[in-house]
Amino acid sequence: MTADALTFEAPFALRAATSRRAPKRPMDEARFELFYRKTAGRIWSYIFRMTGNTATADDLLQKTFFRFLRSNPVIANDDHLRHYIFKTATNLVFDHYREIKRHRERVTDIPATAEARADRDDLRHDMMRAFAELKPQERALLWLAHVEGSSHEEIADALSVKAKSVKVMLFRARKRLAGILEKRGLAPETGHA
Amino acid sequence: MREVDPLEAQIGDWMQRFASMPDRERQLPDPTTMWVKAKLLQSQALAERASRPITRVQIAAYLIVAGGWAALVTWKWTTLSAWLNSFTPSHIILGATGAEAAASLSLTFFAALVVLASVTVMLAFHTILAEE
Repeated sequence: MTADALTFEAPFALRAATSRRAPKRPMDEARFELFYRKTAGRIWSYIFRMTGNTATADDLLQKTFFRFLRSNPVIANDDHLRHYIFKTATNLVFDHYREIKRHRERVTDIPATAEARADRDDLRHDMMRAFAELKPQERALLWLAHVEGSSHEEIADALSVKAKSVKVMLFRARKRLAGILEKRGLAPETGHA
Repeated sequence: MREVDPLEAQIGDWMQRFASMPDRERQLPDPTTMWVKAKLLQSQALAERASRPITRVQIAAYLIVAGGWAALVTWKWTTLSAWLNSFTPSHIILGATGAEAAASLSLTFFAALVVLASVTVMLAFHTILAEE
């Protein structure tokens, strides 16, 4: 563990092991800029894939970093910091869905956006539509596991579920996505994707 | 080495392709702006937290004063209503408006009246000045 690595004070499962060894220094502007440049793009992609809306992704990205800074991050471990920010983004996305449900709107409005209409026949849009058919938790599970390469423990912490359940939930999510892809002709076997 | 499940591999490949597709057309917000905004929000939240006890005390003071006035009026309601009813043209002409009713009010009542009136005025000034 180097002194240059990053961590934060907010509570989460894996912090204790490293925080004892790592020196605790509050994150300054320069450190934040470095961390932001490294992670913001990935966080934005994650939120965008989860919500299917660029404006929402922009908004939730800002909220994620505001909440992150409010937790007074201190320098220690990079991985944990990355994990924490994804957890924060996940919580905000789920809050967003709850808010939408409360207003009795559709959870995914991908076809309604002008941007989506413009490239309706595009493969990217097809993939977005297929992914949007999954439940928000399934989307988060698959993204964190396959794109971010998070461990089952990290996923469990981010989604506030038991670590033991993640394997089963991941299997179900994969199966559901495979079914959706098959139905939409996007499965690799069909040669479309 | 662990054998990779075909479903896991298939979905893994698809997710990788999905993730690598270009998505963002606009630039991300500038980190300096984010930092300044976050600090501003933090200080706003701190100020809000600091003023919360004052607001609570203020609300309690409003309730106490309102309760005090209600108690005072209830306590001497008969005398006060008699005094109010004495505002008739004949009484005014005679210059004896409420004289009998006022005479029946105790010194304690007048003391309570003065205290409550002072507190009400102070509270009103505090509210106006705090808002300004």
